[in-house]
Amino acid sequence: MNIDVDFTARQEVPRWLAYGSSVFTILAALLVGAVALVTLNVNPLDAYQVMFVQQLTGLTGISNVLEKSTPLILAGLAVYIPLRAGLWNIGATGQIYIGAIIGTWIGINVTAPSFVLLILMFLGAALGGMVWGFIPGYLRAKWGVNEIITSLLISYAAIEINGYMVRGPMQGGAGNFPVSAVLPSGAQLPEIPIIESHIGILIALLFAVIVYVVVQKTNVGYEITFTGSNPDAARQAGMNSFYIYVMVFVAAGALAGMAGLIEIAGVQDRLRPDFSPGYGFTAIVVALLGRGNAFKVVLAALFFGLLLVGGTSLEVAYTVPSALVEVIQALVILFLITAEFLKSYKVDIDFTMGESKPNPTASAEEGV
Amino acid sequence: MTNGGSPSFLEMRGIVKKFPGVIANDEVDLKVKKGEIHGLLGENGAGKSTLMKILYGLYTKDGGEIVLDGEQIDLESPQQAINAGIGMVHQHFMLIPKLTVTQNVILGKREASNTLTAGKEGSSGVLKSLGEMFSIDRKGPQERIKGLSDDYGFGIDPTEPVWQLEVGEQQRVEILKALYRDVDLLILDEPTAVLTPNEASKLFETLEELADDGLSIIFITHKLYEAKEITDRVTILRDGKHIDTVDTADMTEADLAERMVGHEVLFDLDKSEVAKGDVKMRADNLHALDERGLPAVEGIDLEIKSGEIVGIAGVSGNGQKELAECLVGVRDIEEGTISVNDRDLTNKHPRKFIEEGVSFIPEDRLKYGLAPELSVMHNAGVKEYRKKRFQSGPFLDYDELEAYANEIIDKYDVRGISDARKMQSGDLSGGNMQKLIVGRESYRNPDVLIANQPTRGVDVGAIEDIRRNLLAQREKGMGILLVSEDLDEVLDMSDRILVVYEGEVVHETTPEETNKQEIGLKMTGGGSTEDSEGAVATDGGQTSKTEALPTNQDADNSNGGER
Repeated sequence: MNIDVDFTARQEVPRWLAYGSSVFTILAALLVGAVALVTLNVNPLDAYQVMFVQQLTGLTGISNVLEKSTPLILAGLAVYIPLRAGLWNIGATGQIYIGAIIGTWIGINVTAPSFVLLILMFLGAALGGMVWGFIPGYLRAKWGVNEIITSLLISYAAIEINGYMVRGPMQGGAGNFPVSAVLPSGAQLPEIPIIESHIGILIALLFAVIVYVVVQKTNVGYEITFTGSNPDAARQAGMNSFYIYVMVFVAAGALAGMAGLIEIAGVQDRLRPDFSPGYGFTAIVVALLGRGNAFKVVLAALFFGLLLVGGTSLEVAYTVPSALVEVIQALVILFLITAEFLKSYKVDIDFTMGESKPNPTASAEEGV
Repeated sequence: MTNGGSPSFLEMRGIVKKFPGVIANDEVDLKVKKGEIHGLLGENGAGKSTLMKILYGLYTKDGGEIVLDGEQIDLESPQQAINAGIGMVHQHFMLIPKLTVTQNVILGKREASNTLTAGKEGSSGVLKSLGEMFSIDRKGPQERIKGLSDDYGFGIDPTEPVWQLEVGEQQRVEILKALYRDVDLLILDEPTAVLTPNEASKLFETLEELADDGLSIIFITHKLYEAKEITDRVTILRDGKHIDTVDTADMTEADLAERMVGHEVLFDLDKSEVAKGDVKMRADNLHALDERGLPAVEGIDLEIKSGEIVGIAGVSGNGQKELAECLVGVRDIEEGTISVNDRDLTNKHPRKFIEEGVSFIPEDRLKYGLAPELSVMHNAGVKEYRKKRFQSGPFLDYDELEAYANEIIDKYDVRGISDARKMQSGDLSGGNMQKLIVGRESYRNPDVLIANQPTRGVDVGAIEDIRRNLLAQREKGMGILLVSEDLDEVLDMSDRILVVYEGEVVHETTPEETNKQEIGLKMTGGGSTEDSEGAVATDGGQTSKTEALPTNQDADNSNGGER
């Protein structure tokens, strides 16, 4: 017997599928993950209860999820904006580190009322990130240097600079640990009452709204979208791709820089080496999943925040290996990506007796 | 080549293909005889390509049956189609520029190298089977390709990388790909769309030779004179339905047009006298380079007056494209000046040109004209969105932009759009895409319109609309530069004609003073009349006359044997 799978491009995505597929696929991923849990003698239902339900029903859980999601939202937006213009910002990591370094330095060394100080810190972090974003953006705009490579490589420079700062000029605190001095309380992010999470999430949401409005409602957003879709036609229509390429990278750098500062001033309180748990790279997946618009980026970031926090809880509660948690997280991501594919293609599976047939190409040209 | 009663080699019966909201093929029949060149004629969107994609296994049919050589076949992939003996040359070539001709031809049809597999007696079995699995024989195929190329006079060197070949040669490589796979039926999808007239007639000779050797050929086109010239029989499709299958010899072009469009088509255009006004655009001593940094425009002077259509005739690749791009600011100029309404715009940003009232219809609508993935609205408004009308405070007023798009759609009869905001412009048919661009560029009432091949690759109905629209704009006082490889179009539409050859204007005339032959001669570098007529006579053929000129020989002369 042979199984014949046939992919045809969908002309329109049915509404139930657009919304249903995500839910459906997450459940499917968890089902597969359950197999692994069962082999380790963990009851999958309990495990998932800890991983997801518990996080979303308790205040601590929610607060943790929000704190993890905040840098992901900003860094996700930092990948999303250049993506709209057809560019890949793989260097959110570097922008995060530079933002954190400069923001923290201001927090430690400048004396001002808390409100003013925080604003200065954010401006500094944004500025630092902008410089780090400007470099690959300018190289791309001016000479067509591949931004994927430059933005990625320059990130490592930022990580090393951070390592140097905490061991050298900014090293502080007791002992000789590679950490900076603790931020004075005036330089730490205040908490939102009741949910006991720092105000970073509000800042991130504010910028998500701004990005949404700029991209969807303004001339600049129109030009970014058009340039991203067809740069040749955009030039012919009088758009300035140089300006757009530089601008999206500078904006991305600002957002990612603030993400770095929020992680320090909101969670870690002092600069440490390698403080970012892969926010910059997770942001790429976040931006890809939330490609449609800035609000979808926020949703994707919240979901990843939940995965990160839930995974840690699962590790602690059941002493399962951290690798298993990563497997479950990876399954969810893989299934979600598959869902994206299924949304655009219809799959027919035929069980036939007889000769096997190769699949017709899925990317057959559309239209006539 | 009349094979009157002979049975059909290919029969497609009652083919149905549905897309959401559209029936692309509605019970279409097609019968092709052995050794026949069979035309498939229809407007853009008539269902020609869909039918052929079904035959080539790219689409699965929703109904009907295909019988090839007496055997019913069910095609689910191009591979199966090729195995069944069906080859296709797509309009957009499926070649890998970096690879050589041989590598392109054998792609997907690897043969193991002899040196490894035939091996000596003692060679190990493992090595042999590895060799069979992974090695590629280049020599054998290369010789066979060379043989095929020589047999049909393709003149293609199998070792040359594809990017170095000209468009016509690349197409021959595509044909070689099919011949190499021993196909019995060759589908050509609008093969002349990318060719110059001379390359086209060379292609026709090749096709006739192939047909004489027993190959059946399906020739998709919407150009009537081509159908008339090359095909034995023609099947006409309209709106996804089979209209008629006729012997070409019995038909006039007008007959075919009527069947294709569904009503009588007027080939003659009413060109009224329009008083010429002030000079709208002036270019002096223009010099510009092409993509490779070689001189493409070499000292062109040009004036476009209000109410005037200036036609640019020339063989493709003689600097027309670059000239048009210079005149709208998309290409930097090395030397010379451009002014619009007496304002100097030399090397200014394209936006300045747009603001000064210059519009542009680029030759490649998908590459330069539209962002195919964006909506019709996005594309319709792209030249005007900065205007006050579309600004509400700090925001872009998308409702207004949509209204603007709909105005263009209505006025220029762009069809197939239900929702300008949602529909992707890339989903429009070619003719409607072009109408959208022409509409977008005209509706803003520019002073100057640079139109580079505005009717290329669109169907008769759309051509008629577009030409009529250009004439109407001319009456309103617009100055138009019309670049076209269609000499009839240049002669019918222009007030003045400039013939370009190797980046220079070699001849200036008016339609009244000249004819097709003279222009044809001038645009192939036929300088003084006597010499070149002699050359034509000695060469003894229309094709070879022009074939030789823009290629090696002349390149050698002017560039000191660069190749």
